[in-house]
Amino acid sequence: MRFERIGREPDYSRYMDLKEGWLDRRIFSDADIYEEELYRIFARSWLFVAHESQIPNSGDFLTTHMGEDAVIVARQPDGSIRVMLNSCPHRGNKVCFADAGNTRRFVCNYHGWAFDTAGDLKGMHEEYCYDAGDIDFKNHGLKNVAKVGNYKGLVFATFNSDAPSLEAWLGDFRWYLDMILDNEEGGTEFIGGCIKSVISANWKFGVENFIGDAYHAGWTHDSGTRSMNNGQPVPPIDMDNSYHASVNGHGWEFGTEGVGDLFLLGRPKVMDYYNKIRPKMAERLGEMRSKIFGSVASASIFPNVSFLPGISTFRQWQPKGPMQFELKTWVIVNKNMPDDIKEEVTKGVMQTFGPGGTFEMDDGENWENCTTVNRGVVTRHERLHYRCGIGRQIEHDTLPGIVYRGQYNDANQRGFYQRWLDMMTHDEFGKMPARPEPQLGNVGETRDLPGLFAL
Amino acid sequence: MLDRPLAPPPVEVIVAVTQALHREARLLDNEDLDGWLAMLGKDVSYRLELKSRRFRADRSPPFPLGPGVIFNEDLGRLKMRVDRLKSGFVWAEDPPNYIRRAVSNVEVLATRADNEVRVHSVLGMHRNRIDGTTRLLTAGRTDLWRSEGSAWLLAAREIVLDHSVLPDSNLNAFF
Repeated sequence: MRFERIGREPDYSRYMDLKEGWLDRRIFSDADIYEEELYRIFARSWLFVAHESQIPNSGDFLTTHMGEDAVIVARQPDGSIRVMLNSCPHRGNKVCFADAGNTRRFVCNYHGWAFDTAGDLKGMHEEYCYDAGDIDFKNHGLKNVAKVGNYKGLVFATFNSDAPSLEAWLGDFRWYLDMILDNEEGGTEFIGGCIKSVISANWKFGVENFIGDAYHAGWTHDSGTRSMNNGQPVPPIDMDNSYHASVNGHGWEFGTEGVGDLFLLGRPKVMDYYNKIRPKMAERLGEMRSKIFGSVASASIFPNVSFLPGISTFRQWQPKGPMQFELKTWVIVNKNMPDDIKEEVTKGVMQTFGPGGTFEMDDGENWENCTTVNRGVVTRHERLHYRCGIGRQIEHDTLPGIVYRGQYNDANQRGFYQRWLDMMTHDEFGKMPARPEPQLGNVGETRDLPGLFAL
Repeated sequence: MLDRPLAPPPVEVIVAVTQALHREARLLDNEDLDGWLAMLGKDVSYRLELKSRRFRADRSPPFPLGPGVIFNEDLGRLKMRVDRLKSGFVWAEDPPNYIRRAVSNVEVLATRADNEVRVHSVLGMHRNRIDGTTRLLTAGRTDLWRSEGSAWLLAAREIVLDHSVLPDSNLNAFF
């Protein structure tokens, strides 16, 4: 399925040369490019909409956005999850203004059109005003998305009926995702609520920061690190044993020291907990992944979800125009953790990466000012430098994806923008190149795979 | 006895506590953070709980571990935040932001303890950032203030922020 704008066929390849390592600044503020992103990226990708734990019971719902389209995510009586436009087919008003809750009906405030949690039209105010033949109830429900998928608790949806399966979309990146979603029996859940904040920056700055920018941490977050670490700055990174890994625009940057992010969380009990389960994690996910988990790391799922494994902040960058996004953040924990550990994780997340957190406070203004300054009519024609570590690509016998050595690197950012370009350029998913060719293509479950060499 | 209404606190107490709220706002506006820390009790609790927008008739159960909190601080954690702000490495605060707090709707209520009062107030916070953006945040506060010697110290503060979506990229300021 294609949602097309008429009359625009620009050549997006002129906005970047990723082999050389530069980007054109206009992609961070241009209104036409942004509008095209909504069509070609957000209306065609698998987008994160919920964690299944947020809507455990029949009738539970939450409201969110897919791109700028408002949607409702609702648990059905049969246990399945449906995702539908939060917009009445009569005049278009929102049918649900609550963030979340439990209900049997969504009723539009305007004329009282009422829908069940599957989105089917059930009735309306003064129904007698419609004569026979005026309205077919069956065709006037809330528009459901094309596909809904669930990967180990994360619920995704897409408007694109031609999209590959969610498993194929995540592809080899599942090997990495399982480190946060499946490092312990029982899987994960979100706890507490959702924090929303408005940041006057282009959405891609948030994604690219988490996908690969370990480099900023030691400088941007110097004050936060020192206050958490007895006045000591971030230690130099081990460039030989840390990596960038990119799969179709998803990316994970990580060390292998096992403790960095857990340390920055600032809650020793949580560190103890993970150290205790680490041998089991090694049995479950293999030695390498048990060493990666907890290290200084950050990750993004294309196009707009990010998280810090070990620090447990999980977030989505929701586009709201070329120069604004809404940041939604949650806390993700292992379901089988004892409650006191879950509470420790929550405290730690809020103290570090909540809106009042010692690290979070430093990021927003950088992204805002990158966005506004890049828009200057002369400034926007200058290139931005994305070349760090461009010669450090390696073949690794355990790590899937396009792998670069050295955590301070722009490699995953280049991978993200490559996928961005692929989606902006190609009309058909089937014609989009895989980056890299899938290595775990036929593997249904990555959990029991220690690494590529085991195949 | 439990239900007997408490007599209102003496006028001197109301004046002293109201003045303490205004002084606190001035110290924070002037970035006299040590002066502010000195107004806090040793056991101070400083909390800002998360809200979510729900239907009035919503019957879904509360979150098992609570809704989550943006601030859940004790004196040690608040000192750490102050140390961070004073570290000289907070690039987003240099040059300084302009922050002005206005305290209003102050209500001083007696409690069962002779040396403690419950205080409701409203805080308006104007922030003008280094890049020139200006934001207005408002919050309701419910405090417990305790008289120790000649001073009134803040023993507990519950902050309710009047925004379901924070209209700013961070909450890099004390309420």
